[in-house]
Amino acid sequence: MAALVLTSENQIQRLNHILNTVKKHQTLDVTTLKTPPNPKAWNIVEIIAHLNVAYGKYVEKINDTLAKSADIDKEPDGFKARRWQKFVIEGQQPKNGVRKMKMKTLKRFEPLLDKNELTGEKIDEVFDAFFELHNHLKQSILKSRNKDVSKIKVTSAIGPVVKFYLPEAFEFLLCHLERHMVQIDEILA
Amino acid sequence: MNDETFLRLKQFFPQVNFEKEEENYFRSLWKPKTFNQYDLITEAGAIERYFYFVLEGVQAIYILNEKGEKVVLGFSYSGSPSGVFDSFISKQQSHTFLEALKPSKLLGISLTDYQGLFQKFPDFNIWGRLFFQEILFGRLHREVELLTLSAEQRYVTFMQRCPDELKVIPQKYLASYLNMKPETFSRLRSSISY
Repeated sequence: MAALVLTSENQIQRLNHILNTVKKHQTLDVTTLKTPPNPKAWNIVEIIAHLNVAYGKYVEKINDTLAKSADIDKEPDGFKARRWQKFVIEGQQPKNGVRKMKMKTLKRFEPLLDKNELTGEKIDEVFDAFFELHNHLKQSILKSRNKDVSKIKVTSAIGPVVKFYLPEAFEFLLCHLERHMVQIDEILA
Repeated sequence: MNDETFLRLKQFFPQVNFEKEEENYFRSLWKPKTFNQYDLITEAGAIERYFYFVLEGVQAIYILNEKGEKVVLGFSYSGSPSGVFDSFISKQQSHTFLEALKPSKLLGISLTDYQGLFQKFPDFNIWGRLFFQEILFGRLHREVELLTLSAEQRYVTFMQRCPDELKVIPQKYLASYLNMKPETFSRLRSSISY
């Protein structure tokens, strides 16, 4: 099986692409943003809110790990994802614009939004929170370039069954974001 | 910026003559920017905000290929211009990264101020014509070298014209710029004199 080598530049490029895409989504009209493809599915705002909940669970973990990681004075290099973590990461990653397996969202990751009270103002709050959180992700990836990321692990929000080194955690979060970008594309198609 | 720095900046625009007041205005448009080694000055997916003049350090402009590897398109160094020019002018997201390979000090001018120079000072159009002519010739020359020379010839030609400060950056950047594997570059470096 081919190795999954993670680099911060690749992650930054993909994250910038996602941030630009979500900025465009924010300009869609309210009806498009709050209409789900079917009554049981999430609308676009709920997807964004879910991404906020998911990333929110990593903010402190990432801050702590960065604070505890030693500074290094060498060129940022690729980080090879470990086998189990690679499997978990690739489970999230869409292939050729298709989400591989449908997953049931755990209760603690569900967006807490009242569909009937989604005003333009409320929607903007969700998007603003998205940009704030994911700019934190970007700054964290940038900071990690000058840190020894191979010593301290982060327990994933899934639980202790998955522990990540920072580049693996960033990759997991990016693949999760990409997965939901595909879901939004499907709604808009 | 001190007088010596300003003199270096002015020398980059030798065709432009200023009156005293114009000179102060021109000087006020350039903002000093400092970057640590390995800082990303411009990220792929972001818009380039500045046209830079390099005071210190070496920077590489590169694109990631499908495997995520850096493919180096060029370098900037003391006394040269820098920045992701296509993104700067088009205000579109950059496809390339600009990274500081050494601690870097740059002077940056915004797009509005840069474009204003051509309108306020006709001399800038002469500078622009000659500057872009030189850039075009350089790129054409490089294309010919990449397409016609052997790895060994590319190495020798490059090393002969390469400024010393560029010779001390990690070899893999030079190897990528010359479209060869780092191992090939290393072998040539130890076996060929130029």
